Amino acid sequence: MQLRAGLLAALVPALVSAEPVVYRIDPLHSFVHFEVLHFGTSTLRGRFGQIDGHVELDRSAASGWASLRIPTAGVDTGLPAFDARLRQADLLASELYPTASFVASRFSFNGPDVAALSGVLTLRGTSQALELRALRFGCHSHPQLQREVCGGDFEGELLRAGFGASFGMPFVANRVRLVVQVEGIRE
Amino acid sequence: MKTLLAASTLALTLALPAHAATYAIDPTHTFVLYEISHFGTSTNRGRFDRKEGTVQFDREAKTGKVEVSFDLNAISTGVAPLDKHLQSADFFDVAKHPSARFVGDKFVFNGDKVAEVVGTLTMLGKSAPVTLKATNFNCYVNPMLKREVCGGDFETTIKRSQWGMNWGLNMGVADDVRLLIQVEAVKQ
Repeated sequence: MQLRAGLLAALVPALVSAEPVVYRIDPLHSFVHFEVLHFGTSTLRGRFGQIDGHVELDRSAASGWASLRIPTAGVDTGLPAFDARLRQADLLASELYPTASFVASRFSFNGPDVAALSGVLTLRGTSQALELRALRFGCHSHPQLQREVCGGDFEGELLRAGFGASFGMPFVANRVRLVVQVEGIRE
Repeated sequence: MKTLLAASTLALTLALPAHAATYAIDPTHTFVLYEISHFGTSTNRGRFDRKEGTVQFDREAKTGKVEVSFDLNAISTGVAPLDKHLQSADFFDVAKHPSARFVGDKFVFNGDKVAEVVGTLTMLGKSAPVTLKATNFNCYVNPMLKREVCGGDFETTIKRSQWGMNWGLNMGVADDVRLLIQVEAVKQ
């Protein structure tokens, strides 16, 4: 009987495991880029990393849970002077709030793939609903780690004034697009 | 009267020399971001931070020329060991080829907005044609600079193997690289 259970466990591939599976965020392949329109002309971009956190997926129950920490104090636009301006009180207020968080508890799936997740983004001490939609999602077996890696690209939108980060409007738009690369390594 | 008219015509002519103008690339609002698929799962992104260049732009004649070069020592992915690998002979080989250069000499207009810039991208000592498609284009008077600024967002997808950048192709690292270009240039 024990042998049979062992055989069964060996036969059930990891990818269709029924239990919730926990993935730890891979900080080398997880970044948030923001995009905001400058004078209605060109798109300013900046990067937040390294992100840490974890994601739990239960494909059989079509449910999931994610908790991510995003260090806003490390914002990187390629211009140190602009980064310093972004960290000031009327934008990211990074001295008071060095980290943003995103906690998502509603997941939707397209087959085995995550299609969207929604939850609460806390930025600058203010919490607002945020939905991230998958542009692509996939899993593969990582050849070096010998573990399953799942991840994809997600996008979402926020209005920065809602978080009190309103400096420079309307020359720099209120609407901010988030482009999120995320990969998680199975625990 | 005739002299006055001739003088004003001359003044007008001098003020509007066929509308051609030189614009200097604003390095604080000009960046190239690349995107490359990571094993078909997520998208790796990196940015080129140091650049310089000029644009000749004639909105009336609908012509233009842009020349921009990027210092490849200033690649920024957010992962320091990856920046080093990208600078090595496997990718950009910055010791031998420290910069990449784009010269765009054909501006395609849609109305009074630039819709495409056709030109040549040189890196790793090789040149190949590239067409940048505009997703935004606009001109405005910058209230701080008190000058006209023109710019937009452009994108293109290139195959890195065209420049001989072949590392990892046989291991499933993608050949297609999408370039997202923010550019603004200040009228001189």
